[in-house]
Amino acid sequence: MTTPNRSFLRDNPSVLWFMGLLGLFTVIVTILSEGMGAGVMSTNMVKILGMTLCLCLIAIAMDVVWGYCGILSLGHFAFFGLGGYAIGMWLMYARTEIVIRDNLAQGAIPATETEVAEAVASQIFGVVGSSDLPLIWTFAGSLPAQLALVVLVPGLLALVFGWLAFRSRVTGVYLSILTQAMTLALSLYLFQNDTGLRGNNGLSGLQNIPGALDVPQAVISVWFFWASALALGLGYVLFAWVVSGKFGSVIRAIRDNEARVRFLGYNVEAYKLFVFTITAVVAGIAGALYYPQAGIINPAQIAPIASIYLAVWVAIGGRGRLYGAVIGAAFVSLLSSWLTGGGAPNIELGPLRIIWTDWWLVLLGLGFVAVTLFFPKGIGGLFDYLVRRQP
Amino acid sequence: MTCARAPTFCPFLKDRWMLRYLRAFALLWPLLVGPAMAQEPSATLLQDVLQSVQADVASPSRSTVPVVLRALLTADAPGTVDFLRAWSDREVYERPGDGLFFYAAPAAGELTLIDIDSGAEIATVGTRDVNQIRPNAGVRREIGAALVAFELTHPDPDRRIAALDAAARSPDPEQIAAIRAARATEADPAIAVRMDRLIALLVARFDPDSTTRIAAIEALRGDVSTPARSVLNQLLQTRADFAPTLPADVNVAVVKTPGDQITLAAAYDVLVSAGLAPAAPGRNAIRDVLRANVTAGAVGGVPVHQLNTDANRIIAYQALQDAGTVSPLVTEADMAEAVAQYVFFDVYLEPDSAVTDAARAAQDSTTTKVALFQFLSLSFDALSLASIFFLAAIGLAITFGVMRVINMAHGEFIMMGAYTGYVVQTVIPDYTASLAVALPLAFAVTFLAGVVMERLVIRHLYTRPLETLLATFGISIALQQLAKNIFGTQARPVTAPDWLAGAIQINDLVSVAAVRVGIFIMAALFLLLLLYILNRTRLGLEVRAVTQNPGMAASMGINPDRINMLTFGLGSGIAGVAGVAIGLVAQVTSEMGANYIVQSFMTVVVGGVGSVFGTLAGAALIGSLQKGIEWFNPANTLAAQTYMVLFIILFIQFRPKGIVALKGRAAGD
Repeated sequence: MTTPNRSFLRDNPSVLWFMGLLGLFTVIVTILSEGMGAGVMSTNMVKILGMTLCLCLIAIAMDVVWGYCGILSLGHFAFFGLGGYAIGMWLMYARTEIVIRDNLAQGAIPATETEVAEAVASQIFGVVGSSDLPLIWTFAGSLPAQLALVVLVPGLLALVFGWLAFRSRVTGVYLSILTQAMTLALSLYLFQNDTGLRGNNGLSGLQNIPGALDVPQAVISVWFFWASALALGLGYVLFAWVVSGKFGSVIRAIRDNEARVRFLGYNVEAYKLFVFTITAVVAGIAGALYYPQAGIINPAQIAPIASIYLAVWVAIGGRGRLYGAVIGAAFVSLLSSWLTGGGAPNIELGPLRIIWTDWWLVLLGLGFVAVTLFFPKGIGGLFDYLVRRQP
Repeated sequence: MTCARAPTFCPFLKDRWMLRYLRAFALLWPLLVGPAMAQEPSATLLQDVLQSVQADVASPSRSTVPVVLRALLTADAPGTVDFLRAWSDREVYERPGDGLFFYAAPAAGELTLIDIDSGAEIATVGTRDVNQIRPNAGVRREIGAALVAFELTHPDPDRRIAALDAAARSPDPEQIAAIRAARATEADPAIAVRMDRLIALLVARFDPDSTTRIAAIEALRGDVSTPARSVLNQLLQTRADFAPTLPADVNVAVVKTPGDQITLAAAYDVLVSAGLAPAAPGRNAIRDVLRANVTAGAVGGVPVHQLNTDANRIIAYQALQDAGTVSPLVTEADMAEAVAQYVFFDVYLEPDSAVTDAARAAQDSTTTKVALFQFLSLSFDALSLASIFFLAAIGLAITFGVMRVINMAHGEFIMMGAYTGYVVQTVIPDYTASLAVALPLAFAVTFLAGVVMERLVIRHLYTRPLETLLATFGISIALQQLAKNIFGTQARPVTAPDWLAGAIQINDLVSVAAVRVGIFIMAALFLLLLLYILNRTRLGLEVRAVTQNPGMAASMGINPDRINMLTFGLGSGIAGVAGVAIGLVAQVTSEMGANYIVQSFMTVVVGGVGSVFGTLAGAALIGSLQKGIEWFNPANTLAAQTYMVLFIILFIQFRPKGIVALKGRAAGD
């Protein structure tokens, strides 16, 4: 598709549009925010918008792996969660260490490193009846190491799992079920108290950033909003670049007819593995940005249902177009938190009363069926329709 | 009936007066046994007997209880046993005016007095108008002992069994004689056997003659019942001890070498707590001492800010130690030296080594048998779990296998079936009848739901399997929330009828809940029914034809639309029936379906898509695997599930088509 005299941006007009809108949105939110601007928008709202941007980022990743490459992964939210856990370990460890050092400094003689480490461990793991620091927390005190883990853990898991699955030609619904099984295994594993990640208590207090404990949450929320917007923008450009050009053509061809691509001499497994792994890494990064804003992470959020919701967002937004994934994730997750958060007024229909918190999921489920049946292109398809109508 | 047995009957051999008294009391032994067996009508009134020992009944003490017992037994009035029990349970009242005794029933803050002999209501009085008689714990124990003897010879066999069970729960050397006496007159062979066993257990544990005991212990070889094993355990109980040299006069179980069977630190702690060695200051103790000895910004010459390493702290501590202000450090070598002067060992509480050797040998020979039975028990558990998985998955195997349709709402059909069972039970109170109604009704409801879903949604997506997955997932979300809206988040029970409620007890190690046997039978019936439908009916023939080649089947005059609809209905209907069955063993919640869906898919995929026997094999594999892993790590069912899923992921690597893979054209894609 790409020829030397055609530029990337001309091929992908949506990138400029998207970057412009995202930049505008960021500026508006900053101006309205409590921490940096007029104070019209509450800190909580800024956090919700920042988290939504992270969800948009993982939705793009999901769109690439599913909408472009045809792998319906029901495990990407697990990668998202692993990214969150990796950064959460540092946030929790470093903050606890600061508090503990302050406490121990009150004593008549200074504390030894062993004493500090033991106190931190018993503070963090007292809730699961343990006082030893598990092996996986070895690097929890180091931010660079944990940042590397944000990328490495989801990436390696995806690499190994994908290699095993693609190598034995597990495709289609089998692969979906297998990825779902992986997610289930991971969440069950994390639910155990003795696996070193505090069981179903999860990691908490993640909104407090060590090194910036004096900075008010109102300001931190804007920082994270910026970071999320930046990550989303970079992710969008990265994936737009990945799916355009020859590579994009190959993965779309794999989606449409895998056997034919294989017979044409392409190493289908390598392509799929690359897409699966890189999207997992991006999902991990999205999670690492999401959970400090959410403040808490626990295994329930990794449960298979979360990954399926991810697929729902992408399907409603429109598969095979990156902006569709963004629209779907933003629209459905914001609508969902508005309706289930009690923000929407109940509808009185004479004797019948529609309470949104009760009926939203029914509506979402049925709406999803309708989208699958009647609008396979989702909301994004609407844009295609409008763009094509222009002279 | 001799004097020799008397001491064993009563547990109060404390002082010599008692002993003398008991000789006399022993003569009453026949009477203790007598009344229950003979039941001769007696003209004596209980009240009169009680009045003859009025003061001792009204304010009983350990020394006076035997007097009352003797009086009661001599008189042998009817209702003696009931009186003893009531007396012990503090249900007897004394009227202060005339000193008469009554039973009483509470009535609106007052008491209705009941005549002890006739059972007639005499009067209603305030609670302050009568004295409740409150025997203390010691007295109650003795009344209880007398009651055991009564109960063991009671005409009602259930009472005798209950008395035996009570005796087995709190074994006591004094019981042997009472049980032997009862055994001599026992007519019921089953109870006689139980008495013999209990006597054997008591003899093995308490008999004064070691040859008799060893013989009794030998008889326990291979007995896997809980009481027998607990007797052996009791005999082999040990306590830890130590001495400068191994004493010759104790029954040593094992000598513990420090550093091997016992850690050096633990051995040293034993010496410390015995006061034979100075306590070793630990890290915390050192820290506290240093904190307490800060002088002019330094401890023992080490500046305070340098005390943030263990090495510097020890230097500071040693400085203090040299100055003589603190207790000395204890090094590893000091510990080893102190410990080396002693021998550490475990000693049996039972002093006779012949007895413990016999018990050890008996226990060893029992262990293999116990393991075998435990394995059997585990196999039953696995079988039960496998049948649940099979029931949950077989409907899916049909829809997935025949139509290649992933039905993510399958779990919600299971839930629908379970809620049908619950609703039917709220309408029909009789559990047996409601179960009989619920099973076909659940089938009908979910069959209809399946057909509607096939017609409205799935039919349009046959060419897009991944989207079927999504659409049925949407339906699953909607159904789950709908169930939550209707039934709430609280778990609802589906209660099993009485005849399914108990457990089938094979021995103390192996027992199976009846309801699980029921589910197993149901799973087996469904397997047969399904095999019959698929292999012996017209519908089955057409289903198989559509499975193997839809195009060819259509050209042979089969309507694939109709077959798809019926197949989907059949698969969904079976899910509904499975739901009722699962509801019997698990709680019915709106989320129960989600718990089974992944497992069900695993079962189908592992077993091999499109094969009933494959699903059976898959269910058996997953069920036994899960139970097997649970056995290695019993406290953690989550871990079992995690490892099982991992195993399945690996398994699919090696057999992507499952255990029973379809061959040839039917294998498809």
